[in-house]
Amino acid sequence: MSAPAGTVRFWLDGEPCSAPDGQSLVAALLRHGAWRMSRNPVTGEARGPHCGIGVCFECVVTVDGRGVRSCMERVRDGLRVQTAAGDGT
Amino acid sequence: MEPERHDVVVVGGGPAGMVAALEAARAGLTVALVEESDALGGQYYRQRAPALRAALGPHRPRGQRLIEAVRAAGVRVRTSTLVWGADGRTLMTSDTRDAGIGAIAGDAVVLATGGFERSVPFPGWELPGVVTPGCALRLASVDGVPVGKRVVVAGTGPLLLVAAHDLLRAGAERLRVFELGRGYRLDRGSLAAARHPARIAQLGGLLAGLARHRVRVEAGMRIVRAEGDGRVERVTVASADRPEAASTVEVDAVAVAFGLRPSTELVQLLGAAVRPDPAAPGDVLPVLDRYGETSVPGVFVVGEVAGIGGAPLAESRGRVAGRRIAERLGRRPRPARGLQRRRARQEAFAAFTAARFPVPSGLLAAIADEALVCRCEGLTARQVRAAAVEMGGDLAAVKALSRAGMGPCQGRACGPAVAALAAEAGGAAGSAMRVQMPVKPILVRVPAGGGQAPAS
Repeated sequence: MSAPAGTVRFWLDGEPCSAPDGQSLVAALLRHGAWRMSRNPVTGEARGPHCGIGVCFECVVTVDGRGVRSCMERVRDGLRVQTAAGDGT
Repeated sequence: MEPERHDVVVVGGGPAGMVAALEAARAGLTVALVEESDALGGQYYRQRAPALRAALGPHRPRGQRLIEAVRAAGVRVRTSTLVWGADGRTLMTSDTRDAGIGAIAGDAVVLATGGFERSVPFPGWELPGVVTPGCALRLASVDGVPVGKRVVVAGTGPLLLVAAHDLLRAGAERLRVFELGRGYRLDRGSLAAARHPARIAQLGGLLAGLARHRVRVEAGMRIVRAEGDGRVERVTVASADRPEAASTVEVDAVAVAFGLRPSTELVQLLGAAVRPDPAAPGDVLPVLDRYGETSVPGVFVVGEVAGIGGAPLAESRGRVAGRRIAERLGRRPRPARGLQRRRARQEAFAAFTAARFPVPSGLLAAIADEALVCRCEGLTARQVRAAAVEMGGDLAAVKALSRAGMGPCQGRACGPAVAALAAEAGGAAGSAMRVQMPVKPILVRVPAGGGQAPAS
């Protein structure tokens, strides 16, 4: 598997994806149409990024088993990302 | 825990914090600069990752020069470090990567924690695809990703134009801009703009850029509701004066907010005096002297926290405070002629802009019953209104009863709206939710092989 220079591969809900190395994770996810990132614990609805600066916590996804705000993370090679769309509900 | 000690600790690595740190360090003080994200720059000077810089070129290169100057001046830069609490001039920190807890203290503390966008809830604003203009701008300009092909930009303030402009450059194709106010209209009040020719040229450039894509600002308009199946698909927009004149726009995404709010959490936590923001119900501003010092000696506030005014003013405020601290701690900063005069001019432009794009006082009280007010706890305006009536409008009691403002964002998104609904039911006008530690959810380490969970 070879990718253009500066490109990394990551896993989005088990599917292989690529993005420019170091791009914000929220941008890398949206470029692949993954708007449904977190699930509200009260209403059960899917939520997506809103503020983009780490305030609202709506863009939280699971990366390597840990909940992170995707607007505060960068995409790295081999990252395993789980979103609300991939939780089987 | 024995805190790490410096002459000066600056919280926030945006324009104001970087310049304050730079001035203090150049005057010979030891300075630590603490930043929550993994890089300096803040929102305005956020830099592209190397792979994106190679493809798209540099973004706001002045920011890169400032970042390099800060490092060259010997400032101890602590990125990925969240300040979640404070006691006197000691700040409690958490490493956002490994949850390590720490403390850092300074003879002087500079709060440069910036601002965030003001939201006014409407039905459907919680749908994926509804973001703020600042979010859309960052994705478009730094990451090169437009939030959609068909985008509605709405709310109020000049940030709408910047977001629209960069969305078009990043590949948005069908864009509409609905500005609630009439701040761009030529009238008696707009004459003062003649004193700021560079800013007017900037505005002209933005409007011309939009016109090339046949986009114009549709003034006096607002979003009434957003709808879609699991993602925003359409919005209803209406004239602010004639709500019956509504129309529907098909969209992939929406970017909406009503100006910016200062992040005053640490100011309040440190016990510094604040006053109600005359321009924004439910918000407070720190009480400062002309050097940016608060009512707590040695605690300074610079940048957007001191009042929204943009990056050039933020830099000036940072420079003034950094030099004042250096003098206070026995150093002699190099002379900077005309600094206070330049800053006064920038303050005047900020006041002019704020007056041109007011937050209408009735906006929050007019929230539709079915709109989700507290996104985190899933509470509608109807539920918050019912709690407000039951509690006689007492904000703290309304919060305790309804849980509004008790989710991970800690009332940052809904605070002013909940306060307005409480005031409707007889509560004190202009009251704000109390700030509590931790000011943001922090990771906690769970022993015995457990995972890590956010605590709030």
